Amino acid sequence: MKKNPLNNRFIRDLRNDLGKYVVIALLMIFTIGFVSGFLVADGSMVKAYNESFTKYNIEDGNFRTQKKMNKAQWKSVEGLGLHLYELFYREFALENGSTLRVFQNRDKVNLVCLMEGELPVKPGEIAVDRMYADNNGLKVGDTIRTAATGAEEGAADADTAAAASEQNNDQNAWVITGLVALSDYSTMFSDNNDTMFDALKFGVAVCSPEEFSQYPDSALNYNYAWKYVDPPKTEEEENDRGEDLVKDLSKEVKLENYIPRYANQAIRFTGEDMGSDRAMMELLLYIMMVIIAFVFGVTIGNTISQEAPVIGTLRAMGYTKGELIRHYMAMPLLVTLISAVIGNILGYTFLKDVCANMYYNSYSLPTYITIWNAEAFVKTTIFPIVIMAVVTYSILRWKLGLTPLQFLRRQLRRRQMKRAFPLSVRIPFFDRFRIRVIAQNIPNYLILLVGIFFANILLIFGLALPKALDHYQEEVERSLLAEHQYIMQIPLDALDEDHKLQSALKMMQFVSETETENETAEKFSAYTLRRPFDAPYKSEDVMIYGAAADSRYVKGIPETPEGENPRVLISSAYSEKYDIFAGDTIELQEKYGADRYTFNVAGVYDYGASICVFMEQKTMNQCFDLGKDYFSGYFSQTPITDIDGKYIGSEIDLDSLTKVTRQLYISMGSMMYLVDFFAVAIFMVLIYILSKIIIEKNAQSISMAKILGYTGSEIGKLYIRSTTVVYLLCFVATIPAVTVLIKYLMKIMIRLEMTGWIELYVGNIVYEEMLALGIGAYAVIAVLEYRKIGRVPMDEALKNAE
Amino acid sequence: MFLEINQIKKAFGQGESRVEVLRGIDLSLERGEFCVLLGPSGSGKSTLLNIIGGIDSADSGEIVIGGEPMSHMRERQLTMYRRKHLGYIFQMYNLIPNLTVRENIEVGSYLSDKPLDVDELLKLLGLWEHRGKVPSQLSGGQQQRTAIGRAVVKNPDILLCDEPTGALDYKTSKEILKLIEQVNKTYGNTIIMVTHNDAIKYMADTVVRLRDGAIRDTVRNKQRMSAEELEW
Repeated sequence: MKKNPLNNRFIRDLRNDLGKYVVIALLMIFTIGFVSGFLVADGSMVKAYNESFTKYNIEDGNFRTQKKMNKAQWKSVEGLGLHLYELFYREFALENGSTLRVFQNRDKVNLVCLMEGELPVKPGEIAVDRMYADNNGLKVGDTIRTAATGAEEGAADADTAAAASEQNNDQNAWVITGLVALSDYSTMFSDNNDTMFDALKFGVAVCSPEEFSQYPDSALNYNYAWKYVDPPKTEEEENDRGEDLVKDLSKEVKLENYIPRYANQAIRFTGEDMGSDRAMMELLLYIMMVIIAFVFGVTIGNTISQEAPVIGTLRAMGYTKGELIRHYMAMPLLVTLISAVIGNILGYTFLKDVCANMYYNSYSLPTYITIWNAEAFVKTTIFPIVIMAVVTYSILRWKLGLTPLQFLRRQLRRRQMKRAFPLSVRIPFFDRFRIRVIAQNIPNYLILLVGIFFANILLIFGLALPKALDHYQEEVERSLLAEHQYIMQIPLDALDEDHKLQSALKMMQFVSETETENETAEKFSAYTLRRPFDAPYKSEDVMIYGAAADSRYVKGIPETPEGENPRVLISSAYSEKYDIFAGDTIELQEKYGADRYTFNVAGVYDYGASICVFMEQKTMNQCFDLGKDYFSGYFSQTPITDIDGKYIGSEIDLDSLTKVTRQLYISMGSMMYLVDFFAVAIFMVLIYILSKIIIEKNAQSISMAKILGYTGSEIGKLYIRSTTVVYLLCFVATIPAVTVLIKYLMKIMIRLEMTGWIELYVGNIVYEEMLALGIGAYAVIAVLEYRKIGRVPMDEALKNAE
Repeated sequence: MFLEINQIKKAFGQGESRVEVLRGIDLSLERGEFCVLLGPSGSGKSTLLNIIGGIDSADSGEIVIGGEPMSHMRERQLTMYRRKHLGYIFQMYNLIPNLTVRENIEVGSYLSDKPLDVDELLKLLGLWEHRGKVPSQLSGGQQQRTAIGRAVVKNPDILLCDEPTGALDYKTSKEILKLIEQVNKTYGNTIIMVTHNDAIKYMADTVVRLRDGAIRDTVRNKQRMSAEELEW
């Protein structure tokens, strides 16, 4: 097969326009590298996480008893088909304001991954969780101390602080010998009922048996882990066995807590949550690739206009359109391929670690081994090449669709301007000239408009995301149902259906002991259902609140007429996320069952903190067979102090609801700045290349103006000011469309990948920042343009317009 | 006849602004014949050349080349027709700026199954010493010689030349004409050359004079003058 002599141009093209190719390639390398690194880190860590269940022999569940189990109890519990392991711990409030849960080092179950230093071997030594150490600025060799007084302050939450305070009756100090990851605490949930983990103020640690044996029995929490002798084979079987086991266990011991693995957020959350960032990264890659492909398309368009007579000649000689399309596509594809290769190399080496660190900021994961990720390869190599091929092919097919004669005559516009449009002589000459420049360059400016549109998508995304989190926090604060929201924890033995009399008595005791004198308190019921799987969207839990008909905290709860589906209000978060409004019906199902419930939506309640439903308590208790006096907790304006802490499962207050934003800041903070960086980088590159093209296209006119005696600044006023006006108009004009589009994309992404709802709120400050960045970027480019105008040689106009 | 042109008509514009550029052109040429199309600007000579070259279309009429009618050809077939049968030389050289002289000629040879030897052609065109240069390092005449090499290298049946000396001085023009003459004699291609230079008619076998889109007269020279002898 003959070698096409046109291919000799590639290297020379590259050399001649090195700046352009380097800028574009760098952008692509960085984008592909980062996304590749992210996907590789993500894939490797997910694998490490999945393997950790076997490697570190992670429990099938754990429970806590009020007292230490005796031998007989141990034997009978093991008789339920379990292997039991002691997993006692003690909590300390530390002087840095955090709570540390200390275990004796494990050697049978929930094994510990040593990530740095050594495991503690003697009293006074401790190995703390690696992430907790990072987030609190601790390192191997440091000493940590328990707080002297006021242990509650700054503790992870009210419960742990209270517990820690109660147990923290002696002063301790430890030297950190090592940093570890506990396989049953990949996510730092101090309490399984918490809505969000806390990577900052709650940590876990292990100490030596000698150290642990010094702790008084009264200070210990008697926690036991279990593994099934005959492990369940399916998730369903695991759920069934988990539900049966709690009944059997409560016959043998007095349970304080019971968490089967499938419900243990500290173990499961990481696996479920890892990968939610993946959609965002992939979206970023695709947007970037379309923008870069578009930039290439624009530069190709420019090359085609410059080379029009050559193209006409080649077509006249017999070169086919396909041959020329392939020729002009080759460079973009080659640059993309090279960028993808370099990007992937960087992704697998340096950037992978950068991305892994982002995970290590959120999760306490064991060490991982990088694995080859075919999906990452396809997404970061094949997809970019395909995107580039499709975009450049489409542009080239359109651009090269003219006849050879049209190319030879440089008639590159499909519709030729018949005559100049009239302009009043009253308009000053320079303004008329600028209007003509704009009119002549409308196709170029349309390209600029599209370019600005794409760049603004990224810019608005990068700038709005952190603000959206702030806004979310403010919204949560503003729409808080009550200052305090307590969820009661019914003792497990009050639910024992096999000992109905005993459990009824326990329930009576629970009911009487959970009454409060607090006048602001109001009972509510709560029940968790889930949205049925609605492909491709993620299924998620929906909290159902049952409040009194005349509730002070949830206003306007609708009554349900007899025989109708319950009438409910849905939270504004629910409405916004799924576009559900008054008059619609929603169908929800049991979290671990098949029963489905249909609700009529009577309205939307202003509550942005979570996906939830409000209905009349009476109707709700009836709907779920909870009993007419059932309640799950209290709304109250002031703290409830007269209920025993053991009955309070958790407290949902502003602090706990906004843990999400704190956590997102920690885990996504670096990513947001990265998106900002990408946005500004792409913005400047795009404007630079597009402006360069406009100047190059007008080179002959600029040269002629110089010959006529116009000064550089006068020419600048004619050409640059026209571009500035158009640029600013395009910039401002694209903002509304970009806002709508990005909100839509974000909604789809959240539906696909995340539970809960955070609106991508775009406040005025975002627009102000966008304008500042946009104008700043343009100012830099304008200076370069001025310089470029100065460099246009005067003989440009004297050249034959071939 | 190798090339038959029958009743070719072409008009531009509509209504009052309609201009008939070609008004029924008939012409026949033998293989290897050298034909000059003469006429003032706007006489339709370039349009006729472009229609013969398949880069423009006639409103009516037929062109048959080597027994193959062109009127039914679609774009792809027209491209293949040009690839197989035609070589083009324009007034502007339209060389690829970042390819060397040799590579610019290879752009033409790539299209042919039986191209001429590039080295031989470079020597014939007097470009051997310049083969490694890019167009910007060449004079106008050298660039046009390169363009001729690019058109000739695929050994086309017909060489279409649109004012090939239009942008050149007297001396260089003569060199180029000599070269075209030499190509015609060496390779036996049919040559159709559009020019407004009346002196060139003497080197042709057939001279077709056009005016207002019609053939004013067709003269067959009994004896061709060599390009060297031409004066203007």
